[in-house]
Amino acid sequence: MRKVWIAVLAVLGALAFGQQELKAGWLYVGPIGDYGWTHAHDVGRREAAAAFPWLKTIYVENVPEGQAGSYIDQMVRQGVKVIFATSFGYMDAVLEAAKRYPDVIFAHATGFKRAPNVATYMADFYQVFYLNGLMAGALTKTGKVGYVAAFPIPELKRHINAFTLGVRAANPKAKVLVRWIYEWYNPAAAKEATEALIAEGADVFAFTEDSPTVVQVAAEKGFPSFSHYSPMLKFAPDHVVSGQLVHWGVIYKDFLAKVYAGLYTPKNLEDVDYWWLLPQGAVELGADFGVPINPKFAGRLKAKAVNHPIFGEINVYDLVMKLHGLMKDVELAFDPFQGPIKDRRGILRVPEGLRLTKHQLETMEWAVEGVVGPWPNEPKK
Amino acid sequence: MRLVPRGPVGPALSLLVPLFSVLLAFAASLLLLALFGTSPREAAVAVYQGLFTDLRGFSELLRRAVPLVLAGAGLALAFRAQFWNIGAEGQLLLGAVAAAGVALFSGIEGGWLLPAMALAAFLAGGLWALLAAVLKARLEVNDVITTLMLNYVAVYLVEWLIHGPWKGKTAFGFAYTDRFPEAASLPLFPGTALAWPGVVLAVLLAGFFAWLLFATTFGFEVRVLGENPEAARYAGVRATVTLSLVALFSGGAAGLAGFVEVAGTHHKLLSPLQISLGYGYTAIIVAWLARNHPLLAVLTGLLIGFVFAAGDVLKVALMVPFQLVEVVNGLVLFFLIAGEVFLRYRVVFGGRRG
Repeated sequence: MRKVWIAVLAVLGALAFGQQELKAGWLYVGPIGDYGWTHAHDVGRREAAAAFPWLKTIYVENVPEGQAGSYIDQMVRQGVKVIFATSFGYMDAVLEAAKRYPDVIFAHATGFKRAPNVATYMADFYQVFYLNGLMAGALTKTGKVGYVAAFPIPELKRHINAFTLGVRAANPKAKVLVRWIYEWYNPAAAKEATEALIAEGADVFAFTEDSPTVVQVAAEKGFPSFSHYSPMLKFAPDHVVSGQLVHWGVIYKDFLAKVYAGLYTPKNLEDVDYWWLLPQGAVELGADFGVPINPKFAGRLKAKAVNHPIFGEINVYDLVMKLHGLMKDVELAFDPFQGPIKDRRGILRVPEGLRLTKHQLETMEWAVEGVVGPWPNEPKK
Repeated sequence: MRLVPRGPVGPALSLLVPLFSVLLAFAASLLLLALFGTSPREAAVAVYQGLFTDLRGFSELLRRAVPLVLAGAGLALAFRAQFWNIGAEGQLLLGAVAAAGVALFSGIEGGWLLPAMALAAFLAGGLWALLAAVLKARLEVNDVITTLMLNYVAVYLVEWLIHGPWKGKTAFGFAYTDRFPEAASLPLFPGTALAWPGVVLAVLLAGFFAWLLFATTFGFEVRVLGENPEAARYAGVRATVTLSLVALFSGGAAGLAGFVEVAGTHHKLLSPLQISLGYGYTAIIVAWLARNHPLLAVLTGLLIGFVFAAGDVLKVALMVPFQLVEVVNGLVLFFLIAGEVFLRYRVVFGGRRG
């Protein structure tokens, strides 16, 4: 359906603008070879470039925050009309540049400040993390799941919480042990953290870091793990269960087609905020594209039965598939943060029958029951 | 082929050699770019258009040069006294920390805030360098090691502050302080992102250091201490006092660079790798190329600012990979430093005599 929509827009755009070319530029925070965040954005850029013959793209890697404004100047000088800024730290630079160039369209990933010519966008994983948590809970024998985490920011807290809710739904006594490494990319620190978690008894692993280190270290000891961001099945085909994958291209194509068709202009983006999840296809469950669950783990997951409030007696494999189906549907009949949910200090965070708003998800600082380890900025009230 | 010492060098040669190095460096860079499929002509045109056809482009060159000149002029002074300050990076970060602290927590308002931030930054950078200077003067601890190591301490101090006690309430959980109040922003030159007081500060400070070094008794003491510590002692130069003052000025200048970066560009304290793009380390080369002459550091700082800004332009205009840009930056610095050998030695072809 979405593809048809985009194709129609593209044709409309072509009719409206003739053969006019649109030039878009990307600001990347890391190198495109990082096998994580920047790599995934660049895959999205190339998808958009391949899909639209009228689109020309350029990009800059490793953009320091203090230089973002200067790179934007250079891009505008090159005739770029749409600029995607792919790091939270570019927020102020983008908003200042947006005032400087009122005819240029900006889209800022992970940000929350918009303007008539600044939209925001995000592809979020929290639904996928819940499903991974279910599997992790089913697979742990020690009842301890290890999580190697980059920074204690709301995005990661939301993901770890969703993951932990999944773990506890499959295994109510299990705990998720968290280690922060304070880097987005640091294989050495990730290795150290994984080894420390192994020493503490963890036997299943998930993580937020831009390298396959956790997968590799866990696999050496024979422990299952969940890949992050890019497909990591190939690094340990017998040990990676599933994971989370992103499709930034889905957002880029939608956005650019609408710009080309004249639906998005430098005057009407104040309320354009992409918060795209499973239903839009911006994220995917799996350790590789098209493989939601590694078949090698199907047996163990099917052997683990849980008593689910909606589905009754059901094995974890089927439960994951059922909930995956529900969350992929735009009706969102299921959400991981479905009340009642208490935090680990015992405070009720999501009342019975309610869900969290997008803003509450984006600013989440508390930790659910079952999370073990330091949790900076944990609210006391 | 061998190298023979030249002895004293005239002004013509000491100008020609670096000029020739610069030309060679640019030629080698263009050749390297050509090897990777970027036409040298296109590259030169892109850099010219990016930096020299409008004010905004040119201001980026200056914005890159300001912290280099500030820190570089200070290092020139330090190196004259043979205080081997490799710690400008850390002193710059301490300056940024102090400026941020004053901006966020001092409660000072209005026109006094910026001067207070600058003063705090100068003192913080200076005291950070003073630590190493006192250790050197009193205990003969190697200053290369202490100043270098203090850089890492400074990095972790900033990290701790932005993740811990100074983490902003409006930072959405990210590791930043809150944004400084409006009064803590340096004014920008209209139509650019360049904080013009930074330019003024850099030139004035370089001039002040040159005056200090060549027109005052203190400067004379500094030079004697650097060139012949024994003689300095006989002449009654108080090594500890002189060295301490040199450290204070040198570190203070780097601290001011940190102040200009946070008050002019960032308006908050953030990751140390984002506050300074290695300016404290590159400033060592700025000072060295300037023959440790603080005023010449203005020129060498501009030169290296140009190299960095040109790299930025090439990355966008011609999509030159950032790795290649960094290699080119390194290559230019390499040529500039390698060229110095020919100032001190002359090449003699043929075998050894007798």
